[in-house]
Amino acid sequence: MAAVRRHKRVAAAQPGFLPIKSSLDGNSSVIKRRKRVNKNKKKSWNRFSDIQDVEEFLDDVRLQERATGGLIAEKTDDTLFFVDTGETEEKDTQARKCKHSKPLRIDLILQPDSHIQAPKNVLAFQQPNAKKQRRISERAAKLAAMGVLPRREKLLQLRSAAAASGLSVKEHPVANNNPDRAFYDLWSAGKTADPYYLEQTKKKLVKRPDRLNEKPSVLPAVEVIAPGGSYNPDFFSHQDLLREAHEVELKKQKAEEKLARQLAVNEDKATEESTFKEQVEGLIEEEEIEPQEPEGDTEDTVMGPTATQEKKTEKQRKKEKAQRIKVKKSLYNIINKNTKVGEVVTCCSLIGIESVLFFRRFQTPDLDVQLSDELASSLRSLKPEGSILKDRFKSLQKRNIIEPRERARFNRKYKLKYSEKRAFREIE
Amino acid sequence: MGGLQKKKYESGSATNYISRNKARKKLSLSLADFRRLCILKGIYPHEPKHKKKVNKGSTAPRTFYLLKDIRFLLHEPIVGKFREYKIFVRKLRKAYGKAEWSGVQRMKENKPAYKLDHIIKERYPTFIDAVRDVDDALSMCFLFSTFARTGKCHVQTIQLCRRLGVEWMNYIITSRSLRKVFLSIKGIYYQAEVLGQTITWIIPYQFAHDHPTDVDYRVMATFTELYTTLLGFVNFRLYQTLNLVYPPKLDGQGEFSLKSECEEDYALESESYSEKLAALSASLARTVPSVEDEEAELDHFPAEGEDLEKMETREKMELEQNKQKKLFEGLKFFLNREVPRESLAFVIRCFGGEVSWDKSLCIGSTYDETDETITHHIVDRPTIDKQYINRYYIQPQWVYDCVNGKILLPVEEYFLGVTLPPHLSPFVEESEGDYVPPEKLKLLALQKGEKPQAEEDEEEEEEEEDDEDDEEEDDQSEDEDEAEDEASLAEMEEKRAQGKSLSVKVTPGKVKPENRMRTEQEEKAEEKRLAIMMMKKREKYLYDKIMFGKKRHVREVSLLRNSSILYAFF
Repeated sequence: MAAVRRHKRVAAAQPGFLPIKSSLDGNSSVIKRRKRVNKNKKKSWNRFSDIQDVEEFLDDVRLQERATGGLIAEKTDDTLFFVDTGETEEKDTQARKCKHSKPLRIDLILQPDSHIQAPKNVLAFQQPNAKKQRRISERAAKLAAMGVLPRREKLLQLRSAAAASGLSVKEHPVANNNPDRAFYDLWSAGKTADPYYLEQTKKKLVKRPDRLNEKPSVLPAVEVIAPGGSYNPDFFSHQDLLREAHEVELKKQKAEEKLARQLAVNEDKATEESTFKEQVEGLIEEEEIEPQEPEGDTEDTVMGPTATQEKKTEKQRKKEKAQRIKVKKSLYNIINKNTKVGEVVTCCSLIGIESVLFFRRFQTPDLDVQLSDELASSLRSLKPEGSILKDRFKSLQKRNIIEPRERARFNRKYKLKYSEKRAFREIE
Repeated sequence: MGGLQKKKYESGSATNYISRNKARKKLSLSLADFRRLCILKGIYPHEPKHKKKVNKGSTAPRTFYLLKDIRFLLHEPIVGKFREYKIFVRKLRKAYGKAEWSGVQRMKENKPAYKLDHIIKERYPTFIDAVRDVDDALSMCFLFSTFARTGKCHVQTIQLCRRLGVEWMNYIITSRSLRKVFLSIKGIYYQAEVLGQTITWIIPYQFAHDHPTDVDYRVMATFTELYTTLLGFVNFRLYQTLNLVYPPKLDGQGEFSLKSECEEDYALESESYSEKLAALSASLARTVPSVEDEEAELDHFPAEGEDLEKMETREKMELEQNKQKKLFEGLKFFLNREVPRESLAFVIRCFGGEVSWDKSLCIGSTYDETDETITHHIVDRPTIDKQYINRYYIQPQWVYDCVNGKILLPVEEYFLGVTLPPHLSPFVEESEGDYVPPEKLKLLALQKGEKPQAEEDEEEEEEEEDDEDDEEEDDQSEDEDEAEDEASLAEMEEKRAQGKSLSVKVTPGKVKPENRMRTEQEEKAEEKRLAIMMMKKREKYLYDKIMFGKKRHVREVSLLRNSSILYAFF
């Protein structure tokens, strides 16, 4: 190596030797010594290696691919060359077609101009559980080969077989309210199985106690309305019915009045002051002369009333308490009779008694009655009164078949607060 | 002596009753299911005599059931079905939440359902028990069939109720068992006699009505479930007694006459058959082809324990009933558009009449308005344009009043534009001394007036003992007879005194038909008078007071009667 280098140096030192990369000065004395560089790392390799020729080659290849869609060397002769025989017919027709349907230049500019195809999106062709699905389909095929079918196909086969033979498929339990349900003779004498058999197979039903066979009430199921309830009633029967309804209303009114009376604050009660004033009324002129005396007396009389007041307050307290209890009791009784939950609450809120759940008693339904001016002149103009649904419901309650209960209501203790959401508040 | 003392509330009535919540927990059912079970099985709460004892000292308002009833409920098979249904709902909800649609479909196909047949058999061991309880079922079914099919209550229930109602009406028409009809402001009341039982039911009017809010619909739906099952079985058995095909089919002739070209205008093909049945204008098909009912004269033998007269009265009643059943036979009716078609068609056909309506109104009209043989045309308008000569134009109340009066009333009072007489209730039975409206008296007079004409063949004359006759009238008639006898005797005495030969001859004696009922009544009156004479002074005083009170009522009634005569002028 050293000998070669010496040789090159000696050769370069000879006169008349034209070095390639020497400076035009001909200053051959200054020979640049190539610096030794470390090309182990990427950075240094990138800086000091010359790959221009490779790059040029690759550019050339890419250009060929872009322009023609593949390496020219690999193309066949037919694609590159054609034998010119001088025919020009197709050109004319093509030119005419092109003139009509020539694409716009801007569209052409926007089209991709390289013949290289876009890369495939691998992810789009990927199936995450391809293996699992493959396994499932193989298994299904295997089972089908053995004869086991999935549920759908089985049902379909059953149905088609049944349709072909005319029978019905599986006997589903027919719903109770199916409009086409069939009935049979329930009370027929025969066709019951042997009682011993029923007992042993535990299909025998427990005997119903005789007590349950009695009706809970002797009232008839459908009570016909009084003759005054006819759509075209006779005068006296209609008056009778009106009178009954009137009496019912009177009773209700009386009960309300009683309640109002007991709740009323009696301002007309005679107080000590008012009685004193009344007694002294005729004597007003005399009092002008004696205004001082009562002033003097007031000091003494102050003691008197306070002393008696304390005693009375004890008594009064007891009295008031007894009164309150009495009012409460009577109120309970009255309210219990017109039992409506709404009413109970308002009354109690007025007096300050906590609302208690009263045991619902049967409330007789209102009499269905049409006033004299509501009576229809003809069947066509009749407006029915009352609802039969309510009538049946009340009848069932009356006959003790169902209990008279009311739906439980939800009363809020504190009122709900509403506020706007922040987004809506900002709008306006 | 540690544990041998008797503790309170451990025996006796406190252990015989159980509160509602405890009963529910014992059955492990939800409250709605418990209520439904009680309604279906017919278990009612029991009010104990000493509430405080049963409630173990407290006075809280509680509903109590008998413990034995609840123990009986434990053996009921549909309790298991209720629990299954609860689990089914839970599973279905889970499947919906997880979006397992195949599972949802599978579960829906296998929905658990229960049947009530054994409960009906248990509650009504014989057919007659069921027929006794059928009027409640009928009212409920007819009520539900008028509901709107919005979906609030199952549309299938409404359809089933409609079908059963139509079947029942067809049975009543075929058996001609309708007896009384009453148009009230609430609805129409009907009374029929089926297998010896009197059945009353109410049908609401067809116009729309708003539903009340304080009625528990779930309870009513449960009742309807029970009642539809009951009514279905009863219908089947009733159809069997008349040898009719069940489910009902139209008679061959009827079906032919009902066929028209434009059947699709009325209903879907699937529903057109049920609609034709609902039209109530054709007769039903029978399993055994029946021969025309002959008026066969059967030998009359008295039943056990019956006297001759009782049998005769019974026969008389049967004859009257048979006559009543053919009230409208031979008459042809035509219903105008504004009258209640179904009710009138039902009533008219129940008594043998023929009925039809306009083709555009409803399916099943058999003849047109232009038919010449129509005898009565039922209209509810003040006037009508086109009038045919040989038919009566009357208001619908005529039909109902005829049915209640059991005769064909004079048509004049029911013409168009005429103020109708009041529609009286046939369910009112006036006892002695009660006020009888003048219209009813007129009706009775008509009935009496008609009867002698119709009964020329009958020899018995004294059968018409009306209940409204007062005792006074009886006494009066007796006195009259006695006076007549006395007068004739006095005449004869005179003649003899005058020495004239009496015109009396000895003739073979006529057997005077003894009016046994009359003699009985006379005997009873005699006994009463004797008893009154024999009373002690104190007792007589009380008796006078009572009779004074009773006679006051009679006085008031006569006052009303007099004043009603005044009002009749207005």
